[in-house]
Amino acid sequence: MFARNRSGSSQVLSNMKAKHKRYEALVNAFHADIFRYAYWLVKDRSVAEDIVQETFLRAWRSLDSLNDEKAAKSWLITILRRENARRFERKQFDTVDIDDVSVHDETQDAEGDVQDRELHRLLGGLSDEYREPLVLQLIFGFSGDEISQQLNLNKNTVMTRLFRARNQLREALERQNEQRGQANG
Amino acid sequence: MDELEFRRRIYADPETTDSDVIAAAKADENKRKFWNEQKQFDKQLKQAVKVDVPEDLKHKLIWQQSANEFAIYQKRSRWYVAMAASIAFTVGIGFTMWYHQPVSIGGQALAHMQYAETERAHTLLPVDLEQVNAKLASFGGSFTDMIGDVEVVNYCHLSTVRSLHLIVDTPQGKMSVFIVPERGDVRVPAEFEDKQYHGESIKMHHANIMVVGNKDADLTEMKKAITDRIHFSA
Repeated sequence: MFARNRSGSSQVLSNMKAKHKRYEALVNAFHADIFRYAYWLVKDRSVAEDIVQETFLRAWRSLDSLNDEKAAKSWLITILRRENARRFERKQFDTVDIDDVSVHDETQDAEGDVQDRELHRLLGGLSDEYREPLVLQLIFGFSGDEISQQLNLNKNTVMTRLFRARNQLREALERQNEQRGQANG
Repeated sequence: MDELEFRRRIYADPETTDSDVIAAAKADENKRKFWNEQKQFDKQLKQAVKVDVPEDLKHKLIWQQSANEFAIYQKRSRWYVAMAASIAFTVGIGFTMWYHQPVSIGGQALAHMQYAETERAHTLLPVDLEQVNAKLASFGGSFTDMIGDVEVVNYCHLSTVRSLHLIVDTPQGKMSVFIVPERGDVRVPAEFEDKQYHGESIKMHHANIMVVGNKDADLTEMKKAITDRIHFSA
């Protein structure tokens, strides 16, 4: 009876070890992209970090339900979006609409060429419904189908939003170039 | 594919592999040019989207999970310890209360009669007054004279009370005499009985004495003999 108990607990232990390994692999593979995605959702590094931590904590708790490693990416994104929605509900009353204020964060001051910073600003200025599918495409390389599944949207809607997102970015850039040209000329 | 549709498709996905888009690009150099520009632009976008990841984030994520797990484990084990402590405490209190509850000794004396039956067998030598008194001395008492044909004299514990047990052969049959030192928490019933035996007690100043005999035995004489002959010093 004791022997059985012991082998039972060592079974638990080795299961635990395996779970740890899976978790660490998950962190290693996805934490950077998940953080970036979170950042573009909330446009605040520290909030993004909080959400990512919460996301991985939840991921750990339900790691056993993740059967398909290939689905891990979209699984994590789903958890993160839910986590963000939860945060948004909590903070609904004390957030400022980011579109009304100029987006400014520490990465803007970081090194990088002017255009990079400019794009960063413009991306931040896109409305959420345009930015989110675009970011999924850029960061995770998702196809239109994958994005529409992830966001629970019609594929045509997704394609239209992607088109409008890039279109707005191009137009904004061109406008700026013109302005710059006029100022220089 | 017209210009606008082509642009829409490219904007939506610059890395598209749709055959009609590719065919349209092959047929039109301007479209190819536009596509290449878009690919270039997308590279920049990808670069711009790649914000720096906090250096310690990875370690934090791994650490927080272990810490969280440890906290859960600790909480759980704290719960267990608390539970165990509480059970131990309850058992302790319960046992102490049980141990200290007033002991009713009549039943114990009757139970002892069974034991006395077997005890008797291996003591063939009769007991004399000196032996009885030697043992009784520890209770501060003595007999002035023998109370009959004493076969056995031995200490025994009635519940938690150390008592002196004498087995006496009388014309009424075997009788047991228990000398129980006076103790605040000991209740000695005046009379008690079971199917086989019955007993009566004599309350004295320093001790209670119980006399137990067969169901039909008359204990009066024995009681009288004891009260007449036993003395307790101070």
